[in-house]
Amino acid sequence: MALGRRGFLGLGVLAGSSVLLAACGSGSDADSATGREGGTLRWGWSTVTSWDPVTSSAGWDVHALSLAYSALTKLDEKGNPVPALAESWKYNDKGDQITFVLRSGLTFSDGTPVTATAVRKSLERGRDFAGSLVKAQLVSVQTVTANDSARTVTLGLSTVDYQIPSLLAGKTGMIVSPAAFEKDAKGLATKPVGAGPFRLTEYVPNQLAKLVRFPGYWDKANIHLDAFELYPLPEAATAVAALQSGRLDVAQIPGSQVSAARSAGLEVQIIPSLVTTVLDVNVTKAPFDNPKVVEAFKYAIDRKALLDTVSFGIGAVNYQPFPPGYVGHNASLDNAFAFNPEKAKKLLAEAGHATGLEVPLTITGASTALAEQLQAQFAKVGVKLTIDTIPATQATQVMYIQHSKALAVDGFAGRDSAVQAFQVLFGEQGLMNPGRRTPPELNAALQKVRRTPLDDPSYPTVLQAATKIAVEQMPNIFLFTTPRVLARKKSVSPLGSYLAVQRFEGVRVS
Amino acid sequence: MSGTMRRAVRLRSTKIALLALGLVAVFAVAGGALAPHDPLAQDTAHVLAGPSGAHWLGTDYLGRDVLSRLLDATGRSVVGAAEAVAIAFLLGVPAGLGSVFFGRFFDWAVQRVGDAVMTLPYLVFAVSVTGVLGNGLPQAMLAIGVFLAPLFLRVTRAAALSLTRAQYVEVAELLGASRWWIIRNHVWSKVLPTVAVTTAQLASAVLLVASSLTFLGIGVKPPAPTWGGMLSSDLGFLAQQPWAPAIPALAIAVTAGALNAIADAIRDTTGVTATPAGRGLFGRRPPTEAPSTNTGAAATTADVVIPAQEGRLSDA
Repeated sequence: MALGRRGFLGLGVLAGSSVLLAACGSGSDADSATGREGGTLRWGWSTVTSWDPVTSSAGWDVHALSLAYSALTKLDEKGNPVPALAESWKYNDKGDQITFVLRSGLTFSDGTPVTATAVRKSLERGRDFAGSLVKAQLVSVQTVTANDSARTVTLGLSTVDYQIPSLLAGKTGMIVSPAAFEKDAKGLATKPVGAGPFRLTEYVPNQLAKLVRFPGYWDKANIHLDAFELYPLPEAATAVAALQSGRLDVAQIPGSQVSAARSAGLEVQIIPSLVTTVLDVNVTKAPFDNPKVVEAFKYAIDRKALLDTVSFGIGAVNYQPFPPGYVGHNASLDNAFAFNPEKAKKLLAEAGHATGLEVPLTITGASTALAEQLQAQFAKVGVKLTIDTIPATQATQVMYIQHSKALAVDGFAGRDSAVQAFQVLFGEQGLMNPGRRTPPELNAALQKVRRTPLDDPSYPTVLQAATKIAVEQMPNIFLFTTPRVLARKKSVSPLGSYLAVQRFEGVRVS
Repeated sequence: MSGTMRRAVRLRSTKIALLALGLVAVFAVAGGALAPHDPLAQDTAHVLAGPSGAHWLGTDYLGRDVLSRLLDATGRSVVGAAEAVAIAFLLGVPAGLGSVFFGRFFDWAVQRVGDAVMTLPYLVFAVSVTGVLGNGLPQAMLAIGVFLAPLFLRVTRAAALSLTRAQYVEVAELLGASRWWIIRNHVWSKVLPTVAVTTAQLASAVLLVASSLTFLGIGVKPPAPTWGGMLSSDLGFLAQQPWAPAIPALAIAVTAGALNAIADAIRDTTGVTATPAGRGLFGRRPPTEAPSTNTGAAATTADVVIPAQEGRLSDA
């Protein structure tokens, strides 16, 4: 469940392994003539922890898994659920039952049909399988009933929850062929069988994954690529070279490489994403057991300066978990904790720390720029931050299981459903809520969000109200949103600007 | 001994090496004071600037003066390396001498412990040690020191082993000299050149190993600069400053090179042979067999593998 961090840390930490990748790609240059259909796209991104959506342990995996699997719904560019395997869905009047209508005539990549029963079995596996990591998201699903002739799957919910269509757009709703998991559930980790746009043909963990177009995909008309190859994220220093040399066609690059990529003749697309850099704060540990200290910390940070040096100004200062443009983004919070060192000092003095305060700041991996700059900023309000580096290999254990750190730099990758995002950030079991406390007002506001249909005119207001409560009452210190910076060769057509999961419908390689 | 040392010092390579190390020593002691700027002062309006009159070596990713950081880092880097080597020396050398002179059980015990340590991958070992003791330069260097101790153990043991059958040692035993007396008067001076070569070689290796650990976030305590830390962070900004990593790399290379030159000089002037450092060190290791007791001193270090630096950066 180490969701968001993977990709966030990926730039700095996981990169080393990519060195091992020699030039593996080739081939796409040969058939470049017409440029209408076909071609291979090589994406430098990240390989997966598992090709089984139910046991995949990194939130980042959803991007790669979306190549091999189709979910009942998918998120559009703005993050709203739209039809995928299900052509439509409908809630009952009470809101505690949702019926999906499946498209007809679809098959999985193993040739077995995508029936209502198959969908039922796949969803039940996510909920009941012992090793399932999406279990928590499906607890409210009490019953799943399938009607093969009507092509309907009905989910009976223990409580009113209108978030299900969003939730099922991600790993939770990816439909796996029952024939595959009934025969060899473990094998799915390396041999996915779904009904996605591509079918995996070759996979070497941490090195590469090769996929070819799956002709049974429901939206195959919009898939123009013959093949797709996935490689680990290139190291910052080598990303541009990997694209120039032709080893990759598209790669995520850090902000520091944008100008280099542009001057190398590459196209750079800055795609708004749900990824947010945030400080996790444990309110059960001193000095954060005093709310005034937490508030002071929120005011003490010059987020714009951080953004400028850490991501070279790419992204936006943000005081909340959702980026501008997302339905949950509350515009009234756009200046919620504007840099105000005087106020921070005053609050610290009120909290009894007029003479200064020493606090350890935990970081993971090797990139220290953000922490060093925070240290300098906090020094100006009389707080001495000491930087405590924990090796990336221990990060999940220390931060998400032990919750033993008072203050830590973290990254949030966003979630398919807004309520799910709230749970991860603020829920009592949330990975990024080390204090394990959630104010009752927030739970009530979330309950209201669940009870409001996504297409209800009041939904944005209700969700934004919850955002406001969370930002004002929870200790998480949001810093800035980090867009997905994708550099691509000129031979690749523009990529879709997807807030949540990067998709490749409509993309061509000439 | 003093004679051979004098001969070593007379070599030109040694003079140059000593000069370089002298400079390093001066910077190590007074680097912070000599620095033209505060090595920690950030100027985020001028990040990753090129060399200029104000900043001779440019500024880093937070606008800090690179020259000042380099000077300030000297002491920390050198002391870190010295700590690791000292720990390895203190653990390995007495154990190596003891394994020859204090009976078979002691010999067996220390050798098996040494073997056990040598089987550990050093990165995993360093991660575990810092996991237990906390992350910081002293802890990381402690880990490296413990990890290197078996090398000292083997070098010392091999060198001492050949002396136990020397006639003057046997005579001393017959005359009733104690083991301690024999070690002090007959063994130690013969073992010392070998140990000195190893020490110099390991010191240079440790400097490089320490920098590779910073790639994993081990042993760094930001914002205090170390050469290895500077090298690792500079690599993220090659697009802006392709030359920047060369600066800390040069500092490491010059220091390591000087130490190696001195090791070579000691070897050349004392007739000690040693495997050159830098081959196969932390990775694969040839099978280690204790040399048989009657081989000459000249062959005794052949089974010693000195930790290598090359190839280590890539698995960070």
